[in-house]
Amino acid sequence: MRRSLALAALLVPAAASAQSAQGDVSVTIYTNDLALVQDVRPLTLPKSVTRQEFPDVSAQIRPETVRLSAADTEIVEQNFDYDLLSPAALMQKAVGQNITILRTNPATGVETREVAKVLAVNGGVVLQIGTRIEVLRDDGLPVRVIFDRVPPNLRARPTLSVTLDSARAGARPVTLSYLTPGLGWKADYVALFDETAGKIDVQGWITLSNSTGTTFTNADTVLVAGEVGGDSNQQQYRPGRATPPRGNQPGTESGSREQLGDFYLYPLKDRTTIANAQTKQVSFLDVSGATAAKAYEYRNDWLNALDQAQSAATVLKFSNAREGGVGDALPAGIVRVYMRDTRGQAQFVGESGIPHTPGGSSLALKTGEAFDVKVRPVVEKREKILPDEWERSVRYRITRSDGTSETADVAVQKEYWRTTMRYVVTNAKPQPVTVELIQGGLNRAWYWRDTRVPSESIVGTQISADERLWKVAVPANGETVLTVSFDTRY
Amino acid sequence: MRRFAFPLLLLPVPLAAQVFTSPAPEKVSVTVYRAPDRSAKEAMELDWLQGYALITETRTVEIPAGESTLRFEGVAGGILPESAIVTGLPEGLSEKNQDADLLSPRALLSAATGRRVSIRRTDGTSGKAVEEEAILRSGPDGAAVLQTHAGFEALQCSGLNEDLFYQSVPAGLSAKPTLSVRVVSKAAARTTITLSYLANGFDWQANYVAELAPGGGSVDLFAWVTLANGDETSFPDAETQAVAGKINREAAGERLATADGDVRLRCWPAGRTHQVPEIEPPSPALPPPPMVVYAPVSAEMADDASEIVVTSSRVARQEELGDLKLYRIPQPVTVASNSQKQVTMLDRKRVPAILVYRSKVQYGDASDPRIVLKLRNRAQDGLGVPLPAGPVAIFQRAQGRPMLLGESHVEDKAIGEEVEIDVAGAPNVTVETDEDEIRDNVWKRTLTVRNANPWPVDFEAEFAPDGDIRRDRFDGHMVRRNGAMVWTAVVAANGTAVLGYRAQDVDD
Repeated sequence: MRRSLALAALLVPAAASAQSAQGDVSVTIYTNDLALVQDVRPLTLPKSVTRQEFPDVSAQIRPETVRLSAADTEIVEQNFDYDLLSPAALMQKAVGQNITILRTNPATGVETREVAKVLAVNGGVVLQIGTRIEVLRDDGLPVRVIFDRVPPNLRARPTLSVTLDSARAGARPVTLSYLTPGLGWKADYVALFDETAGKIDVQGWITLSNSTGTTFTNADTVLVAGEVGGDSNQQQYRPGRATPPRGNQPGTESGSREQLGDFYLYPLKDRTTIANAQTKQVSFLDVSGATAAKAYEYRNDWLNALDQAQSAATVLKFSNAREGGVGDALPAGIVRVYMRDTRGQAQFVGESGIPHTPGGSSLALKTGEAFDVKVRPVVEKREKILPDEWERSVRYRITRSDGTSETADVAVQKEYWRTTMRYVVTNAKPQPVTVELIQGGLNRAWYWRDTRVPSESIVGTQISADERLWKVAVPANGETVLTVSFDTRY
Repeated sequence: MRRFAFPLLLLPVPLAAQVFTSPAPEKVSVTVYRAPDRSAKEAMELDWLQGYALITETRTVEIPAGESTLRFEGVAGGILPESAIVTGLPEGLSEKNQDADLLSPRALLSAATGRRVSIRRTDGTSGKAVEEEAILRSGPDGAAVLQTHAGFEALQCSGLNEDLFYQSVPAGLSAKPTLSVRVVSKAAARTTITLSYLANGFDWQANYVAELAPGGGSVDLFAWVTLANGDETSFPDAETQAVAGKINREAAGERLATADGDVRLRCWPAGRTHQVPEIEPPSPALPPPPMVVYAPVSAEMADDASEIVVTSSRVARQEELGDLKLYRIPQPVTVASNSQKQVTMLDRKRVPAILVYRSKVQYGDASDPRIVLKLRNRAQDGLGVPLPAGPVAIFQRAQGRPMLLGESHVEDKAIGEEVEIDVAGAPNVTVETDEDEIRDNVWKRTLTVRNANPWPVDFEAEFAPDGDIRRDRFDGHMVRRNGAMVWTAVVAANGTAVLGYRAQDVDD
């Protein structure tokens, strides 16, 4: 009887099980490795309590987030079984039960069949055959072990099962939804920069990737440009990024896309199959002729001097405003910049990451360093300021309550250091360039604050307490020397 | 009938869409970029190339009307799928896919779960094989439990020679990660498209050879562009370029992990009486030899397979590319997989150069002198070209043959810059320091340079900042360079030069 049942099972055509058990799948993918999957499956339920299995859910499903709903049905319980079927589990569960062993004589090939009772599985398998007690395969000879059945809760894969109490018999859609990691997306941008025209063409691609172990067939997909959930104390560690170039400023224009709270939604036009281990790219942005410009920037740390000149950063500046810009909010991703070579072929010139960028923002992306534009900072002199020089540096104005005021020079015995920096900016290009040179480290909150700049050969701007900026114009194939003195408390 | 539909089943696309393949590019251009974090003095590791390349391919494809999927074969194995750009399709494209679900023993086992497979048992003595149908009941993680006519059995636990075979290749698995695009076209068309992408596993550098003229005073400078391709794909007759300059790259983020293709089957505990463990009772003995099947080894560089091709007949031409420098190899060349190629970049004779012996003075001590080769990258000095970073080998002729003086490196140097190459140490030129305290915190210091060579040498002592010590009253020829005092002197053949100066502590 049992044998015929097994045979019947063998007759199941292979093609029938090749079909995915998924129904109408909708996937909402966030940018922080999280997705919400909704799967509407037609199920025929009897009017009773039944256990339903849901195969073909994400292999990385977070079972505690599963929600199930169906008309006229109550959920009795929901199980996520991850006791996997393996030879060891099979043998462990067979303790105290009978198995069939089939010995093959290695010389003659004659098979002998015996029934054995599994007494214990600890390191090895101890069997009782009739009145003999023996260890399985103790003689090293081949023995086939045949089990009559597989215990019901041993599964090929982790399986979600739900016990349902249906008030009526019949077919109805059952909606299953859950969260899963392993599905994520980011944006990838291709920017073709035409330097002489001062324009860029930008294409945006949504890159979504599936490492869940499961293929989502014919899914209605929406991408959300935002990182949802995550307790504040579950912040992910993000390695520190280098200081971004100057000129990044968030904008205030709203995008034209549908929003969910603060997040923009990017629905895919057509249903699509997101195969396992697949990277899928879908176009979402194609803009040509946005205004763009190139700039050079060099940032020097406090008291940094170099033996050899260092290249200034090449910065690409553009905006995503509607006027003259890319004209759309930009989800976080990587912008790859290309330029045409002398033969008109686009060549890669660098890339930079951007965060989620609202519309109307100014962007300044460091794409690389300029071969021909270099800065060499030199600490020219560093000396203590003599007291008489100190007196010239400080002045008080006293205003009395009666409105009269008095200006006085006061000598205070405080030590100051005067550091004279020389920055040699060179340009080997046949066109003049302007380098934004920034000296940092001017405000060491716990050491000193009152840094002064008594002299500078080019007028600079203090962009913060810590940083001062000079726009250094360098002629074609020439050099400009900037000399600056700083008075600091150390 | 169904069998004829199989080629379509191999792809993870709706069966309605047509699939067609572009097997190889007609024309290809390879632009190689230097490893972003490799400094000028670090050598290229041929079996771990950290640079990358931009590959631009021209392919002609026949596009049918309606919706179809176009697969690209013959792309580089190190492709970054998110960087792929396809242009030239008549109506654009809606979707690009890179499928990395690969055909492997594990994928076969995984796909066969719950399906019909065949088990074959081969008699070790007679070689007679018996086949039986079975259903695979377990998943791919470390076990194969089969339902046979007899009941349930575990594969490879009996000690017999057993193996599984499958009826078909599961849908959606490919041999290599494959890039494909979904195309919608109103009418059938034959069109030329351009596919470009970034790929890892390439690198390049400039390699300089400097030969000093016998009497000094000038140097013959020769340079190679050295390109390396560590990818499994060769690019025949490729237009080849290399780009110099520092280029910003972002951390690539998480790569889609391709599951290991191997399968490790485990059985139940199989301890035997003679294997009673000595210390820990529950530790199970080794199972019977598991069936370990490794996925095919991908592009690993076999050391002996790398060949060095020198094509020096033509010189790489330099062009401007934004703020970078592009070197174009004038004729199409084959950028073979796992190979290194060198093309001449520069060949200049008699570039004026001087050798200087240099020592640094700090805290009253002088470092051992080093020989520095100094030249100026200017057209009037016979040079005046961008010099991309790379190693330098310095030779000088002696006894009728070139002898290696030293090996060093040069950073990216623009036109007009001074180039200093640290050549080697100089045991024949020595520096001695001495000091006498004149009064409290004031010293008379001397620097004595001795030259044991039978020729005069140019010597420089660079006075690095010395904390609160102020130095003055130098009695030699001093210049100011980059914020430091520098003593320059010519030390006669087998002669001595002495510098005296005063040092005082100003921190009081």
